Amino acid sequence: MSGNLYTRKMGEEYNTIFRQCVSLNTELHKLVPLAKQMHLLSSNAVSSAARAGSEGDAFRVLTQDIQLLGDEVSDCIGDTQKVIGEIVKLASNLAKLFSHYMIYMSLQERLEDQETMTSATFFEHGHQLVAEELKANNYKLSRSLNSLSNLLSPIARLVKKGEYLAVFSSVEAASAGEHGVSFEAVSSMLRELVGQLGLQSARQRSLLRDLSDAMEKQQINQGKLLYAR
Amino acid sequence: MRVEKLYKKDTHSWMVMGRDAERREEVIDTNHYLIEHDGRGLLLDPGGVENFSVVAAEFSKHFELANVEAIFASHQDPDVISSLPLWVQANPDLIVYMPQIWVSFITHFGVKLENIRPIPDEGGVITLAGHELEVVPAHYLHSSGNLSVYDPQSKIFFSGDIGAALLPHDSTNLFVEDFDAHTQYMEYFHRRWMPSNTAKMRWIAEVRKRDVEMLCPQHGAIFKGEDVARFLSWFENLDLGSAWNNVR
Repeated sequence: MSGNLYTRKMGEEYNTIFRQCVSLNTELHKLVPLAKQMHLLSSNAVSSAARAGSEGDAFRVLTQDIQLLGDEVSDCIGDTQKVIGEIVKLASNLAKLFSHYMIYMSLQERLEDQETMTSATFFEHGHQLVAEELKANNYKLSRSLNSLSNLLSPIARLVKKGEYLAVFSSVEAASAGEHGVSFEAVSSMLRELVGQLGLQSARQRSLLRDLSDAMEKQQINQGKLLYAR
Repeated sequence: MRVEKLYKKDTHSWMVMGRDAERREEVIDTNHYLIEHDGRGLLLDPGGVENFSVVAAEFSKHFELANVEAIFASHQDPDVISSLPLWVQANPDLIVYMPQIWVSFITHFGVKLENIRPIPDEGGVITLAGHELEVVPAHYLHSSGNLSVYDPQSKIFFSGDIGAALLPHDSTNLFVEDFDAHTQYMEYFHRRWMPSNTAKMRWIAEVRKRDVEMLCPQHGAIFKGEDVARFLSWFENLDLGSAWNNVR
C-alpha cells in the first residue's frame, strides 16, 4: 500500500476512533442518572424497612446490601466518567495531530519537487515532533481504554448481585404480608434499575470492543507509516 | 501562488505572497508578508492551517525559514494565525507577537505562553535583528484587538484587514491597478466587517502621520504610491458598520 493510501486510511481510522469515543462518552453519561436513582432507591429501602417496624429485620439486612450495591455502582460510574473525559480529549488530540502530520507530509512532498533555500531538516523537526506526539497519544489512549474496560468489568457482577437482591427482597416482602408492601416497591425498582444497568453496560462493552478493534487496526497502520520513517 | 519582492535595500527586504491558485473556492485568499533584515525573518499574518504547506513551500524558495525568528499576528482570526502550532512545532523557539487581548484565545490553537510576546493596546515597537518596526493600534478594524505594522525604512505599512478586498477567484493582480474599479471589491468588506467610524478616523490619522509608499492588506491587492492616499480618503468617507441590506 502506498504512503498516501496509508495516510488516508489512518485519517479515516482516527476519525472513526474519535466518533466511537464520543458515542461511548454519550452512553457512559447515561449511567449518571442511574447512579442517582440507586441512591434514591437506598433511601426508599431505609424508609420502607423503618415502616415495617419489628417485622422489618430482614428488610434492614437487605437495605444494607442495597446501600452497598448503590455505593459500588456509584463509585464505578464516577470512575468511568473521569476516564472517558480523558479518552475523548486524547482521541480529539489524535485527530488534530494526525491532520498536522498530513500537512507536514504535503509540505515535504512540495519541497521535494523544488529548489529551496530552507534546509531540508527544518520542517523535519516539526514532522518528527508530531509523529512522536502521535505515538505518545496513541499509547495513552490505549492505556485509558484498558482502564475503562477494567472499570466497566465489575458492572456485570453488580448487575447479578442486584438481580439476586431484587429476588430476595421480593420474597421477603411477600412473606411479610402487608408490612412488606412498600418493600415490594423497592424490589421492583431495584429489578428495573439493574435491568437498565445491565442493558447499558452490554451496549458500552460492545462499543468498547469496537473501539479496541479500531485502535488495533489503526496501530498496525501507524506502525507501518510512522515507524518505517 | 505569486511571490514578489516589495522592497530590497542592502540587507533589508519585504516579500509578499498571495493569489494561491490551488486553494479551495470556499477558502478566502490571503496575503502573507516576510520581512528580512540581516538574514533574520519576521512573518506577518502567516495564514491558516489550510494553506500552511503552500505558504511554507513558497517562502522556502526565497528564504531560509529556519531564520524566521518571529511571527506577527495582526489579530486572532483563523485565516491569520491558525497555522501557528505548525510553525512552532518546526521551530520551538519562535516568538509570536500578538494583541494582548487575544493571548488567552490564540493559546487555544495549542501554542504555549513562553512563545508569546503580547503587544499592549497602545502598540509599540518590535525589533528584527536590531531593526525597529512600529506597531500601530488598529482596534475594531475589524477585530477588537487589532494591530498594524509600519516599517520606516521601506515605508511599507502592513494594514491587516484594512484595505482588504474580496477579489474574484481568478484574480492574479497583487497590486491595485485601477483604484476606482477596485473599490467594488472593498466596499462590502469594510462596511460589513468593520464596526467603528471612530476607530477608523483614529487609524487614518495615525497612517497620515507617516510617510507611506505601500499599504499592504491581508486580503486583496496592495496600494502603491498615490493609491495609498486615495484609499485613505475613500475609507474616510465610508460609513462602517452599515451593511444592513441582508439583515431584517
